[in-house]
Amino acid sequence: MSEKQEENGVPFYPDHFTLEAKVALGFGILVVLIGILGLFFPVGVGTPADPMDTPIHVKPEWYFLFLYQLLRFIPKTIGATAPVIAILLLAVWPFLDSKPDSTKKQFRVRVWVSAAVLIIIIALTIWGEVS
Amino acid sequence: MKSLYRTIFFIIISVSILLFSAAAVHTYTAEEPEMSSRLETDQLPVTAPIKPEDDTCFQCHVDGSFSNIWTATVRWILFGAAGVAFLFGIARSASVWKTREAWIPIPQRLTNYLDDRFQLTDFLKPILSKPVPDWQRRWWYCLGGLTFFFFIVQGITGIMLSFYYKPTPAEAFASIQFIENEVLLGSAIRMIHHWSANAMIVLAIAHLLRVFIMGAYKPPRELNWISGVVLLMMTLLFGFTGYLLPWDQRAYWATTVGTEIAGSIPVIGDLALVFLRGGWNVTSLTLSRFFALHVLVLPLVTVTSMGMHFIMVRKQGLMKPL
Repeated sequence: MSEKQEENGVPFYPDHFTLEAKVALGFGILVVLIGILGLFFPVGVGTPADPMDTPIHVKPEWYFLFLYQLLRFIPKTIGATAPVIAILLLAVWPFLDSKPDSTKKQFRVRVWVSAAVLIIIIALTIWGEVS
Repeated sequence: MKSLYRTIFFIIISVSILLFSAAAVHTYTAEEPEMSSRLETDQLPVTAPIKPEDDTCFQCHVDGSFSNIWTATVRWILFGAAGVAFLFGIARSASVWKTREAWIPIPQRLTNYLDDRFQLTDFLKPILSKPVPDWQRRWWYCLGGLTFFFFIVQGITGIMLSFYYKPTPAEAFASIQFIENEVLLGSAIRMIHHWSANAMIVLAIAHLLRVFIMGAYKPPRELNWISGVVLLMMTLLFGFTGYLLPWDQRAYWATTVGTEIAGSIPVIGDLALVFLRGGWNVTSLTLSRFFALHVLVLPLVTVTSMGMHFIMVRKQGLMKPL
């Protein structure tokens, strides 16, 4: 794509490349700090797996907790198919909403919808963690 | 002369085919050798593994208990580097002494060498000089790249962990303990792997929200959005398959519950359950399957999808918001 004359910009190399390198370096330092933390407070292991002994509270990892909590109210069949349908809907969304934005209103609607969905998922996750 | 080469060529090809066929026939028709010339399992010579205290490599490379840094290796590296620098100085002076030419710096020498052979500069120049407008240099456009950064971190730490991890129910738990307690920096690598997984999921969702809110999924970017959804599913599957690998109570039962839920999908539920578990229950087959998915299948699919995703972004550019 050709750059319009009135857009201010920088060449990819070296200017933008060095900016990205600095961001990556910053996060690299963060990763090293996490590693140093791991030397003193390791992740640890639980008890070895025992197929005969079902623990009372079984919980998936945090990113699945909202689904798990949802399954307590919704019957299992719907609770298993709903995420699949949601993902398919997410995948085909550009074909359903394909008109380019004409006003700022559509932008704001998407902001509110995203905020609502995010808050619901976070609330379900926290609820799944504490129950 | 040409017909001689042709003859030799045909001879080589036909002899190769004959030998290959003979080997194939032998493999499928050869009988077991006689018992007297074959040793039974308990008669085979036993090579016992070396005890850790006798293994000269263990204490530096695995345990970390050997702490003297001034070793022969360190001396070789230090004085060797000084020697190489000295010899390089002599070579540099000698090369410009007679001709009085200016010394071309080494990076430029390397570029000239590659340009003479591959015309690298002509190829890279349009790519590297592409202008990046200021409105694109904002923090919310970094989220996708950061997800990729943490994917690389996971790849490197994952490879390091897979050097010591044993994917069988009998040894998995103990191998994780070995990594945490005995391996040098093992607990650090495992900590990084654990938290980078969470970071990658959070950043992928943040990136999804940024693209969704800005409407950058609209045509002509629909296929890019679909490759992005595929990547998100791969990230979550990475988490799901990796979670089982420590083979502790939490992992085992979370996987049981998770695959049980997959099994309640109508029509394909049973197929999904048996495919994931490698049977009807969570067994050693499940662990092998999840390990293969986590280490081979998912990385390949993810790298392919990322390649397409990056090419599409590069070709179409970022969408300019209103």
